[in-house]
Amino acid sequence: MDETRKQELIKTLSSRLNQAMRMYLDNCTRCGTCIEACHAYASEPDIKYSPVGRAQNIRRLYEKYFKGAGKLAPWLSEAIEFDDAVMKKVYDTAYTCTGCRRCVTYCPFGIDTQQIQSLAKQLLIVADMEPKVLSMLADMSIAKGKNIDKTKGSFATAVSNLETEVLERWRSEAGAKAVPLDVQDANVLYIALAGKHSIIPAASIMNAAKEKWSLSYFEAVNFGAFVGNPQKTKEIADRIIQEATRLNVKEVVICECGTAYRVMKYMTGEHPFKVISFIELIARYLQEGRIKLDKAKLQGRKVTYHDPCQLARNGGVYEEPRYILSHLTDDFVEMTPTREDNWCCGGGGGLVAMGEKDFRMKSAKVKVDQFTATGAQVLSTACENCHTQLSDLSEHYKTGVKVEYLSDLVSKALVQE
Amino acid sequence: MSDIAVAKILDLKGLPCPMPVVKMSQEIGSVQVGEVIEVHTTDPGSLSDFPAWASTAGQEVLTSEQNNGVIKIFVKRLV
Repeated sequence: MDETRKQELIKTLSSRLNQAMRMYLDNCTRCGTCIEACHAYASEPDIKYSPVGRAQNIRRLYEKYFKGAGKLAPWLSEAIEFDDAVMKKVYDTAYTCTGCRRCVTYCPFGIDTQQIQSLAKQLLIVADMEPKVLSMLADMSIAKGKNIDKTKGSFATAVSNLETEVLERWRSEAGAKAVPLDVQDANVLYIALAGKHSIIPAASIMNAAKEKWSLSYFEAVNFGAFVGNPQKTKEIADRIIQEATRLNVKEVVICECGTAYRVMKYMTGEHPFKVISFIELIARYLQEGRIKLDKAKLQGRKVTYHDPCQLARNGGVYEEPRYILSHLTDDFVEMTPTREDNWCCGGGGGLVAMGEKDFRMKSAKVKVDQFTATGAQVLSTACENCHTQLSDLSEHYKTGVKVEYLSDLVSKALVQE
Repeated sequence: MSDIAVAKILDLKGLPCPMPVVKMSQEIGSVQVGEVIEVHTTDPGSLSDFPAWASTAGQEVLTSEQNNGVIKIFVKRLV
């Protein structure tokens, strides 16, 4: 590693050393409480896959460049210098952390491992060692924002081709657009993912509720956040903010994508519109009596629910999915542990997009044990990333459990009056 | 139907986000420069995602077609 790169890394490390980060790096007593809180360690006991083990490289770099002992007598401390081998270790620890923050709820000092790993990811970008697939996806999203006018027409055609499938779930009034685009002054701007599975159920539910809504031209997921690049995260989010502002919508509603929800809700500042998750919107429709559900659709099947980390532990959405499930089934069973203590699915932090199937399957064995212990045949969730990972786990471990999106269950149970 | 000569067909129908673009980026190196991959997908977002990816990856989307819910995108390898 050349000196210029090393200086850039020191500068980046320095730029992240606010009061909170210094507290996270200084205050760890190595009590070990966090170790077994991590699903990866609980599944594959290796200290480098524990929260404290993951943070160790960053702590030792911090010690080298910003602590008296590390500067004056590094041989007496654990201080290490930036070099290629150290950055390889930083990669291994940063990209095996899903950012679920389960460890944070156990740490007696409230040390936020996810923030330490977000610093690690920023250092990897400076070292040009970040996962290129995540940067590629982030760059694609930014390019899409710059050229959206060229593809609006074909996107509108593709969306209109979905109308039959939407109408199969809910027959809208004659003449009404089943999947509306560019609706000025809409109550809701719905931000989907690229796939029709995140559009069709949502469209049928919002049409059933007689909502004035509009589908966004942009996808919800923010790969800038996955790769830990603040500038790209902002550019990707700005596409949606500009569209919502142009249409003068009241609410931006994020589809079942945990990271997209957390980024838009907590990392993009103040807006003239509210940001909520689609799960919160469905719960509101049920509460206001705007939609009704038929419990017969799930009769004979026990249902459990996986709280996506970014929606629940990091977003506070716990009650709404359970309220929705109470309208879908009388045979619901909670996982143990649950809510704040729920195990991560093991696919977050970009791991699903990166592939990493071998690690994902091994490091989430504890999750498989958790959901199979419920005896449920249906595992519902509200995040595309979790859905993919849980489906892979169910198939890999041959559990026979069917993973379902909550919105899909709702749209198939809509009662047409 | 397009009369473009294709070297490879990729069936990416029904894949979860963001796998269609990830698979495409992995497969583009499997054809020669100047050859075309025909992608089949059901994701409406692919119609914006693939041109955006191509513009950042130095490749070219020649055209796209939609028929019976299947979207076909023709991508030419330039580099």
